[in-house]
Amino acid sequence: MPSWADFQPYIVTGLALGGIYALSGVGLVVLYRATGVLNLAFGAVGAMGAFIAYSIIKAGNPGWVGWIVCILFSGVVTLGYGLIFGPALAGRGPLVQAVSTLGLALIIFGAIDLLWPTTGGQSPSISFPTDSSTVFTVSDLSVSWTQLIALLLGVVIAAGTAAFLRFSKLGTAMRAMANDREITATLGVPVRSVEAAAWLGCGLLGGIAGIMLADMSALDDTTLVFTVVISSLAAALIGRLRSIPVTFVAALVIGVIHDMLTPITQVQPYQDMTPFVLAVIALLVMSRGAVMTRSREEG
Amino acid sequence: MDRRTLTRAAVIVVLLLLALLVLPPLMSAYYTITMIQVAIYSIVTLGLGLLVGRVGMYSLGQLAVLTIGAWVAARLLFATSQPYILVLIEAGLVTMIIGSLITLPALRLRGLYLALITLMLAGGVTVIEATLNFPNGGGGFSGYNGSALHIPQIRRPSFASTDPAFYRFSVIVAIVMFLLVFAHLRARPGRAWAAIRQSEPSALAAGINTTFYKLWAMALAAFVTGVAGALLAGADRELLSIDFPIQNSVLLLAVVLMGGAYSLVGAVIAGFLQAFLPAALYNLWGVPNDWLIILFGIGVMQVLATAPGGIADQFPKDMKRLYRLISRLWRPAPPPPPINTGGIPRRIIIQETAEVHTRSVVIEEYGQAGPAAEQADPGRSQGAEGDREP
Repeated sequence: MPSWADFQPYIVTGLALGGIYALSGVGLVVLYRATGVLNLAFGAVGAMGAFIAYSIIKAGNPGWVGWIVCILFSGVVTLGYGLIFGPALAGRGPLVQAVSTLGLALIIFGAIDLLWPTTGGQSPSISFPTDSSTVFTVSDLSVSWTQLIALLLGVVIAAGTAAFLRFSKLGTAMRAMANDREITATLGVPVRSVEAAAWLGCGLLGGIAGIMLADMSALDDTTLVFTVVISSLAAALIGRLRSIPVTFVAALVIGVIHDMLTPITQVQPYQDMTPFVLAVIALLVMSRGAVMTRSREEG
Repeated sequence: MDRRTLTRAAVIVVLLLLALLVLPPLMSAYYTITMIQVAIYSIVTLGLGLLVGRVGMYSLGQLAVLTIGAWVAARLLFATSQPYILVLIEAGLVTMIIGSLITLPALRLRGLYLALITLMLAGGVTVIEATLNFPNGGGGFSGYNGSALHIPQIRRPSFASTDPAFYRFSVIVAIVMFLLVFAHLRARPGRAWAAIRQSEPSALAAGINTTFYKLWAMALAAFVTGVAGALLAGADRELLSIDFPIQNSVLLLAVVLMGGAYSLVGAVIAGFLQAFLPAALYNLWGVPNDWLIILFGIGVMQVLATAPGGIADQFPKDMKRLYRLISRLWRPAPPPPPINTGGIPRRIIIQETAEVHTRSVVIEEYGQAGPAAEQADPGRSQGAEGDREP
C-alpha cells in the first residue's frame, strides 16, 4: 500500500482535471436546462478545435492564435448545429435530440481521423508556456500555472454561470425555458435567441475544455471525443443535469479519485472506470422512489 | 395468412436459399469473411433493434454485451472440448444472465437516463476488457497469456472449419435467432413491448408488468447478442480488445437507426451497413473507414430528423416516389389516375401500411408532448416544480 506522500501529487493533478470536468459539466447542464438537449458532441467539437489549434501552432503562429481559433471554432460549430437541428428536432424528446448530437460527434470523429491521421511521425500535442512554471511548492510537490488555471477556470465558470443564471436577464430567460418553453414563449421571451445563446456558450466552453485537456491529458481523438465527454457527463448526471453546484463538486471528486488511484497498482488499470462507477451509483441511488414520476426530461 | 404475407415469406425463403447455396461458391475469400461478419452483426443489430424499435429502450451498451459473449465463448472453447453449438448456447445464456444483472437496476430508469447509463456501462466494460484481454489459450480465470509466441486459434465446429462452411453456419444461426425474436414479437411479449413503447404508464394501467417485460426484452437481446459474440469468436479466431473501441457502440446504434429499428429487415440492412459497406468500399476504391463514420453520423441525423423508419421503411417509399417521377417524365401531361380495379387494391394496402407507420410515430410524439401540456395545470406544475428542485 503506498504511503500518503505518494498520493499528494495526484491530488493536485486530480483537482486540475476536475476543474476541466467541472467547466465541461457546467456547459452540458446550461445547454440542457435551456434547450432540453444533452450535447454529446461536446467533447468532439473541442477535440477538433484542439487539432486545428495544433496545426495553426505547428505552422509557426503564436500559441494564443491557436487557442482563440479553437474556442471560436467549437463555439461556431455548436451554434450552427443548434440553429439547424435545434428547431428541426424540437418536440421530439430529449432522447432523440441527444442521439442526434451523437451523429455530429461521429462526423467530427471521422473528420479528425481523416485530416490528422495517426500513422507514423510524432504524435500531435499541445503545450502551454505555463506548463513548466511553478507557482508554489507544497512539501516538495510543485504546482504549475496550468494546473492552477485549470482549477480556477472550473471555479470561475461554475460560479459565474450560477450567478449569470441567477441575476442576468438572459439567465432568467434560460431558467424560465427550463421550466416551460411554451409559457416562456408566450410571455414574450425570444426563445430562439436565448437557445442560440445557450448553444454558443456550450460550444465556447467545449472549446476551452478541448484545448486544456489536449495539453493536460493528450491530443488523442478517442480520449477527447468519448472519454472526456463521458467523464463530464458523469458529473452532470450526478447533478441530475440540473444543479450547477452539485455538478461542480462531483467533477472535482471524479477528477481527484481518478488520479489518486494511480499509485495503487492493483486498481490503477481500472482508474478510468471512476466516472462510470460514480455516475452509475449516483443514478441508481437518486432514482429510488422516482420510478413512475414522469418529469419532462425523462420524455 | 393472406397472399401478401405468403409472397413475402416466399421471397425471404428464396433469398435465404440463394445466400446459403448459390452465394458461397461465387464469393472470393475476402467477401466470404465479410459476409460472415454481416451475418453476425445482423444478429447484434437484431437485438439492438428489438430494444430501440419495439420497446423504446435506447441502449448504447450492446457492443459491450457482444464482447461479453465473445469473451465467454472464447474462454469456454479454450477450457473445454464441448461441441461448438453447445458453447454457442452457453455463451448466450451466460451473456443473458450478466446482461440482465447489469441492467436490472437500470430498468427503473427511462429514456435519456437509460441511454446514458448504458453508455457508462459500455465505457466500464471497455476499460475492463482492455485490462483483462480476451482469452488466447492461457491459464487462470482470464485465460490470457501475455507472452504467448504461438497463440492458438479459437476453434471452429468440425463441420464448419473452412470459411464458406462457417459462413453457412453463421447464416443458419442468424436465421434461428431471427425466428426466435419473430416468435416473441408475434406473441404476448411483442404486444406488451408495443404497449410499453407507446406509453409506459398506460401499459402499467392496462395490467402489463412493465418491469418484467422490459427485463425480458433486455434478456432476449442479450441472449442473441451473446450468441453473436460466440460466432464472432469462431469467425475471427483471435480476439483483441482494440477491435472493440468505444466509438463502435455509438456506430452500432447509428446503423440500427439508419437501417430501420422498426422492422426485422432493417436489422439485416443494418448488418450490411455495419460490416459489408466499409469492407466493400475499401476493397473497391480504397475508401478509408473514416468516411463511413462521417456518413453514418450524417445518416443518424437525417434519419432522426426526417425518416424515423430508417432505410427499411424509407427505401420503398423513395422508390415509389422515383417511379412516379419517372412515369411523370415519360408522359409530360399526366392523365388522371386510371380507374383500374385490378391495380388499385394492392396500392391501397401498401399505402395503408405506410399510414400505420406514420400514425404510430405521431402518437409517440403526442405522448411525449403530453406531460408538458399537463404542466399548464397549476396543481401538476407545482408537483413538477417540487420534482425539479429536490
